[in-house]
Order: sequence, then C-alpha cells, then structure tokens
Amino acid sequence: MSRVLVIGNGAAGLFSSWLLARKGQEVVLVGRGTPSTSMSTGCIRTRPEGCEREMAEFLVNEHMPWAVGARAGLSKIGTPFRCWMAPSHSTWKYGEAPGSVTVVSIEGHPAIHVRIASSLLIAQGIRAEHLSLPIAVPPEVPLTAAFRSEGSWELLAKALRTTSSDAVLLPAMVPLREYGRLDALERQCGRKVLEAVTPLGPPGLRLTELMHARAAGAGVTIWDGRRVTALDIKGDTVRGATVSGGSEVKEVATDAAVIATGGPLVDGLNIKGRELDDPFGVFQVARSTDALRGGYASREGMMVRVDGRRMANAVAAGDCVYSERRDHGSGLAGALDSARMAVMALEGA
Amino acid sequence: MRKDVLIIGGGATGAGIARDLALRGVDCLLLDMGDFCHGASGGNHGLLHSGGRYVVKDPGSAAECAVENTVLKRIAPFCIEDTGGLFVSLPEDDPLFADRFKDACRSTGVPTEEIGAEEATSSEPGLNPLAVRCFRVPDGSVDPFSLVQANICDAREAGALALNHCAVTGMTVEDGRIVRVDVQDRRGRLSSPIVPEVVVNASGAWVADVAGLAACTARAGLDQGSMLVTYGRQCRHVINRLREPSNGDIAVPSHTSTVLGTTSRPARSPDDSAVTREDVDFLLRETSALLPSLRGCRIVRAYGGVRPLLGGNGREASRSFSITRGDAVDNLVSVAGGKLTTYRLMAEKVSDTVCDMLGNSSGCRTHLEALGPPADVEGGSIALARLRRKYGRMASSISTSDTRVICSCEQVLRSEVTAVLKTGDALTLADVMRRTRAGMGYCQGLDCTLSVLELMMQGAKMDPLLALREFLREREHGISQASGDQLRQGLLREHVLNGVYGMGEME
Ligand SMILES: Cc1cc2nc3c(=O)[nH]c(=O)nc-3n(C[C@H](O)[C@H](O)[C@H](O)COP(=O)(O)OP(=O)(O)OC[C@H]3O[C@@H](n4cnc5c(N)ncnc54)[C@H](O)[C@@H]3O)c2cc1C
Ligand SMILES: Cc1cc2nc3c(=O)[nH]c(=O)nc-3n(C[C@H](O)[C@H](O)[C@H](O)COP(=O)(O)OP(=O)(O)OC[C@H]3O[C@@H](n4cnc5c(N)ncnc54)[C@H](O)[C@@H]3O)c2cc1C
Repeated sequence: MSRVLVIGNGAAGLFSSWLLARKGQEVVLVGRGTPSTSMSTGCIRTRPEGCEREMAEFLVNEHMPWAVGARAGLSKIGTPFRCWMAPSHSTWKYGEAPGSVTVVSIEGHPAIHVRIASSLLIAQGIRAEHLSLPIAVPPEVPLTAAFRSEGSWELLAKALRTTSSDAVLLPAMVPLREYGRLDALERQCGRKVLEAVTPLGPPGLRLTELMHARAAGAGVTIWDGRRVTALDIKGDTVRGATVSGGSEVKEVATDAAVIATGGPLVDGLNIKGRELDDPFGVFQVARSTDALRGGYASREGMMVRVDGRRMANAVAAGDCVYSERRDHGSGLAGALDSARMAVMALEGA
Repeated sequence: MRKDVLIIGGGATGAGIARDLALRGVDCLLLDMGDFCHGASGGNHGLLHSGGRYVVKDPGSAAECAVENTVLKRIAPFCIEDTGGLFVSLPEDDPLFADRFKDACRSTGVPTEEIGAEEATSSEPGLNPLAVRCFRVPDGSVDPFSLVQANICDAREAGALALNHCAVTGMTVEDGRIVRVDVQDRRGRLSSPIVPEVVVNASGAWVADVAGLAACTARAGLDQGSMLVTYGRQCRHVINRLREPSNGDIAVPSHTSTVLGTTSRPARSPDDSAVTREDVDFLLRETSALLPSLRGCRIVRAYGGVRPLLGGNGREASRSFSITRGDAVDNLVSVAGGKLTTYRLMAEKVSDTVCDMLGNSSGCRTHLEALGPPADVEGGSIALARLRRKYGRMASSISTSDTRVICSCEQVLRSEVTAVLKTGDALTLADVMRRTRAGMGYCQGLDCTLSVLELMMQGAKMDPLLALREFLREREHGISQASGDQLRQGLLREHVLNGVYGMGEME
C-alpha cells in the first residue's frame, strides 16, 4: 500500500480520494477555503462520460436522494435550469414541467426574487402565484439559520396548504441533515415542493458535505483548513509537501500526488495580470484565448514540469486542469470525470 | 406644450441652466435622451479642478476653474470631498516646468503653496519617494451624479420640468425660428411636440447633431478619454503629475475607490467611449509612477467619456467654453466645451443670453444660494449625516429606521433605493445605480441587482430579463478590462449569470 497526497477539498479532490481509498490506498487530503463545489448549484449539468456508476454510488445518501436523467428545474429568478443529475427536490423529469407554480418568498430577503421569478415563469407558459411568508428575516441572514425551529416549519406548511398550484417553488433553505423536511412538506401540502436552483447557497454546501462524509467514510484522512504551500520534487517525482495551517507547518512524505486545487476563482491557480500561473512554481500551465479557461497541462495523464519533463507520480483533476470544453457553471461533471481519469493514470504509473 | 425655454441635454451644463433659469422665474423644460449624466457628466474623473492643471497652457480656463472651485465648495459642499490636491514632479520631468507652473498659478489666481518632498510624502504616504517638486492646490473630488441631481432637484423645486429618457428627435424651423420641437419619450409622458420661445442646446458631445436638427452648425472636436476605478482608496489627495498636461496624470480619490486617468484620442462619435486594453495598461503604468502602490492594484472597472473640445485637438484644445447663437436661426443658443468644474459659470452665461432674448432682467443667483444642505449640519444621527452627504436635500425623504442593506459593497440601504424609485426618474437599473451607487462596488452589481430589480417591479411593469441584460451588458464593458484579482470576480459573475441563471442562453 502506498500513500497518496490529494490537494484540494472540492469535487475533484474528494472524489479522487474516495476512489483511491476504495482501492486500498492510504489517502491524505489537504484542503482549505471554500471550493467552487460549495458555491455551485449542487446539480450536475452534463452527463459524465465514463463514471456514471461510480458517481451514483459516491453520491448516494439516504438523507438526500438523487434523481438521474434529463432533468429541468427553476433558478431562484425563475429561469429554466437543465441538468442531468440533481437532488430529487431541485428538478423534475424533463418535459414534465408543472402547469402552475406558487413562488414562496420572504419580503426583502434575496433568497428568492418573487416578482422576477413569477414574471419569468409566465414567460415560459407556467402560471405563477406569489406567496409571501409573514416572517421577517434580515437579508444578510441565510434562511438555513432562520428555519431552525419547528414553529417556522409549521408556519410554512400551513401557508403552503392555502395555495392551489401544481407545485411550490421554495428558496433553497435546508441543510443536508434536514433534507427530509422537503419530503415532509410535500406530504403536508399535497403538492410538489421544488427547491429553487441557487448558486452560493445551501445546495452546493450540501453537495460538498455529502462528498466529504463519503470520502471520510471510505477511510480518507482529511486535513481541513490547511494549505499545501510547497511541493518537494526530485526530478520527475513528487516526494512530499509542506502543509501549513494555523501556527503549524509540517512536511509530509508521499508516494504520489493528486492536484485538485480548483481554478483561478478559488486561488488554485494564480492570476498575474491577465495570465494564469502555477502557485507551486513547478508545473506547466496551458493558456487559452480566454485567460481564465487555461489550466495545468498534462501528457499521457501526468502533469508536466515547466521544463517540459513529464512527471512520474503527479496527476491533476478538476478546474485546475486545462479544458477547452468546460463551460461556466458546468464543471462538476468534468471535475468528477477527470478525477476518475487521474486515478486511472496514477494506477497505470 | 408651450415653454419659454427648452433645454436639450441633462448633463451638468443643462441641469445648471435649468436651475439658473428656474431661479430667475423662467418657465423651462429640460430633456435628456438618456438618464441625467448620460454623457460626459457621467464619464469623467470627478476632479473639482483648482485650475492647476491648466495654468500653463490654458490660463483662461484655469482662472475660471479657480473661481468656480471656491463657489462650488461653498454652495455644494455635500457632494464635494475637499481632499486638497498635490502637483508632483518626478526626476524624469522637465525641471523648468515647475517654475512656469508656479508663476502661472500666481497670474491666474490659482492658490498654491510649494512644499518639500518630505512634507508631501508624510501627508501622502503612498507618494513616490523620488518626488522632486511638490505643490499643494485646492483640488477636490466631486460626485458628478449628486451634483447634477441636486441641480435638477433645485430646478424642479423652482418650477422647472425635467425629464430623462426623452430625446429630441426633430425641429421645425419657420422664418428663421424654431417653432416646434419633436420628442420621443421612452415613458410616454410627453405626447405632443414642444413649442418653445428659446431652445438651448447643451448636448455636450452631441452639440453638432442637435444644432443640425435646426439646420445649424456647431463645431466641436470629439475626444475620448479613459479612466480606471481601483479597488479601495489608494490616495488621500487628488494627485496630479507636475508636467504639461498629458496622459495618465491624475488620481482622484472617490468614495470607496480611486479614479485614475486619463487618455486622449479622437472619437468617431459621441458614443465612441470604449476603453482599450492598451489604455488600461498605459494608465496603470503612468499613474503608478506617482503612486507606486498602484502597480499591482486591483482594477474594478474601466470607463470612458467623450469631451467636446473647442478648437485644436486633444490636449492642445482649450478647456474653456463658447456660447453661440444659431447662424440661421434666431432662437437657438448652443453651448459647448468647458469642464464639470465650470458648469455653473457656463450655465450663468447661457442663462444671461437667454434672459436677454426673453427680456427677463433678473440676475443670476446660483452662486449665492446653497445647492444642497451644508456639509456639517448640527444634530441628527450619523445615518442621516451620511445620507445628507450622499443625497443632499433628498436625504430627508429616506427612512433611516429600516437598516436593511441592499448593496453590501457600497452599503446602500434598501430605503435609499425605495426613495429613489419614488421620484419616478429611475427607469433602468443603471438609473438606480447612478443615484444610489448600488452596483458600483467591486462585485459590480452581482449581488444587489436582483434585489433592486425586485423592488422596481413592485411599482412598474417591466421585462426583467431585458432590464437585467441591459444593465449587465453595460457593466460588462467595464469589467472586461479588469485584471488581477478582479478577474476572479468576473469569473464568479459568469458562473452565476450565464452558468446558473442562463442569462447568456436566453437571448
Ligand atoms: C457560482 C458557481 C456555480 C456553479 N454551478 C455549477 C453547476 O450548476 N453545475 C456544475 O456542474 N458546475 C457548476 N459550477 C462549476 C463547479 O462548481 C466547478 O467546476 C467544480 O466545483 C470544480 O471542482 P474542483 O474540485 O476542481 O475545484 P474546487 O471545488 O474549486 O475545489 C478546489 C479547492 O482546493 C483548494 N485549494 C487550492 N489550492 C490549495 C492548496 N495549495 N492547498 C490546499 N487547498 C487548496 C481551494 O481553496 C478549493 O477549496 C459552478 C461554479 C460556481 C462558482
Ligand atoms: C475623460 C474625461 C474626463 C474629464 N474629467 C473632468 C474632471 O475631472 N473635472 C472636470 O471638471 N471636468 C472633466 N471633464 C469634462 C466634463 O466631464 C464635461 O465638461 C462636462 O461633463 C460636460 O457636461 P455637459 O452637460 O456640457 O455635457 P454632457 O454631460 O455630455 O451632457 C450632454 C447631454 O445631452 C444629452 N443629449 C444629447 N443629444 C440629445 C438629444 N437629441 N435629446 C436629448 N438629450 C440629448 C446627452 O444624453 C447628454 O446627457 C472630463 C471629460 C472627459 C471626457
């Protein structure tokens, strides 16, 4: 058994460590900061090419069932959102849109914009109603914090019973452990409860938390809140890394490394002027016409040093990898798929 | 609709004329095809010139600036930050220029005081320590949006009618007089043509186009200038390079940021204000010679403006102004050139001409009467004092008991937006932004735009996607030139707007 160091706590890092741990490797994952994965909608927009089965297995969670296939949902401003795999309450089967929707909001809270959403629903041929909940939540307080008491959930259920639409569109407000609340609400009000698709909110956090739990469950050692500041490289081989967090700095030895540090958005790649740059100062970054789409170059699955030499035991996965195909907002499938390929490349090496 | 005077153009000049005439009891109508400040008045540095910049090459304009600088500080302190200014030369600059500057300041009446480089760097810690000669001047930072808004507010109170989003599209001339003016109102408030006694063409860079509607000529060269908005305040004073006015000479602290400028190139049309990447690189390089910390600084956005210049090209042209009567038309007065700093003086002179034509003998009062509340009114809460600085007299209509924030970058209250919407002037998201600053901060409206739109939709029927696209496209122009850390913000923006909301796909 050998030891693999995985750097990055987003979808790519968590999935690759899970895959490696399942194969019996000793895995240490070092990550810090809020990954893009947590900012995302938590819905996988495109079908990953080669790892559907593993993904379904990885994401399965009795607390939060996933729905797979061509799906559609509504963003918090009412625009249509299409995807391939999503937590069951975020979307419906493509082509089975509800004929009428009640948009639920809290006056002045930005979790959902009821007038914008209703207007855009109507534009799509969906009948829309407003329902403003009689509670006050300051705009900077997330709804997950406001909906902690039984009382608030009861109030919501009562309000939902007064509507007559096919479905209600709720702002995203449940944390992972409370996901079952949505099922209960659905039963209580007798109609489909849809959670609005939201960036920078609970769905992405839930996805990260779920993946985190799965990786930890498979035996991955996770060092949260720590950053790899330097890599110890001899020739074409990563031999260790410097990990720092808080007041502590330590050196760790490793037999292989998976770099899953994310794109420029989360600091996984540096931005110098308008160009991308490797923060470790070791690897080649392939540039793209759109500066921000560039990323680590690879050859036969392995990373490439600045001097053109191919690494023997370092692979990269996720947003930090160069990809012409990655579209804004659709990187989760790519991150998962490239994590699987990275693991395969390591095994081959 | 009959009116004594129709003023075309709601920039600083037009708004100033409306106030001036209204205070003299003249019945006037002010129109702008866009929002107020749609032209150069919304695309400049907001430098309240002391005159220093022009003393050597353009003493006439310098003297005008020097006088108006003190007038504006007196009548409109609420929208001016009296930061003071520094003129600073570096080792590579012509050493003789400093002496010429000093003499010229004396003869034009621009107050200056030469200080040692040490004193300069101690009062402006970010200044290049290699500074050679340094002069203090009474430059300031003025918020053009508040200034224009305050003029309009006052003009309305004195009886003027002022409408934005209402374009003048045609004029009928009979017997050497404009007898009818056709308009196109985006909101359908004005349905009939206007029958004015006198038409004032204060349309800035569009001056020739508007004169052309009455088959008259008005000449102004068009010249584009670019500016950058930095993240955070990078200096305390207005910083000017002590050399012949050229590109990349100026840094103006403004609200939460610093505005760096500017450049000069011929513009093909009044709308040709686009900023190039070369401008951005150039401005950063030049201004960081004065303030070295600007070198790696995060640029939030870039924007441009088009100046109408009198005679000559670019930096050669005078910054003074001219007032002309239509060559073949008796009742058309065109005004062109000038500065934001001298808008009041221009307005006074135009109003004098107009009153002459109307036989009205009342004199100008705009330099005597306060344009807004004094900067340091006694009493009231900190919250109210802040609103007074931002909105002038309008502050009293904003509730301070509702503390909900709608734009966290610029700390704009929801109640500020509500109050602005109540005035009926805000048709677009950008209109709200110009009045409240919601959307001007480093996230460039990613967070607050939807909340503002939601409020707008409470009162008016509108197509939200259209409104969003219009606003975001305008912001994107500026962001596309950003660099460094600000690119992260741009990337997040694309993820949210295009990736999640599908704004790009739904065209
Ligand atoms: C607002 C938003 C909405 C999105 N919506 C969708 C969507 O609906 N569907 C979809 O498929 N995709 C979506 N995406 C894209 C998707 O989130 C990303 O493509 C994906 O999460 C990338 O995963 P990753 O693991 O490569 O990187 P990340 O999730 O960004 O994780 C990388 C992590 O590594 C950390 N790190 C970096 N350097 C170091 C270091 N030296 N040491 C330790 N840790 C380090 C970073 O801080 C970060 O936490 C969205 C993205 C955003 C921003
Ligand atoms: C890059 C740059 C930097 C500058 N920096 C400074 C500075 O720091 N300090 C300073 O004092 N000055 C500065 N100036 C100069 C200053 O901005 C201008 O002198 C001033 O704003 C001109 O105001 P205005 O009202 O005459 O013109 P504008 O503000 O251009 O107003 C003209 C208005 O007419 C309207 N209009 C045009 N055609 C029609 C029509 N057919 N119907 C209805 N309305 C119409 C337009 O929409 C526009 O709003 C700068 C200028 C530029 C370009």
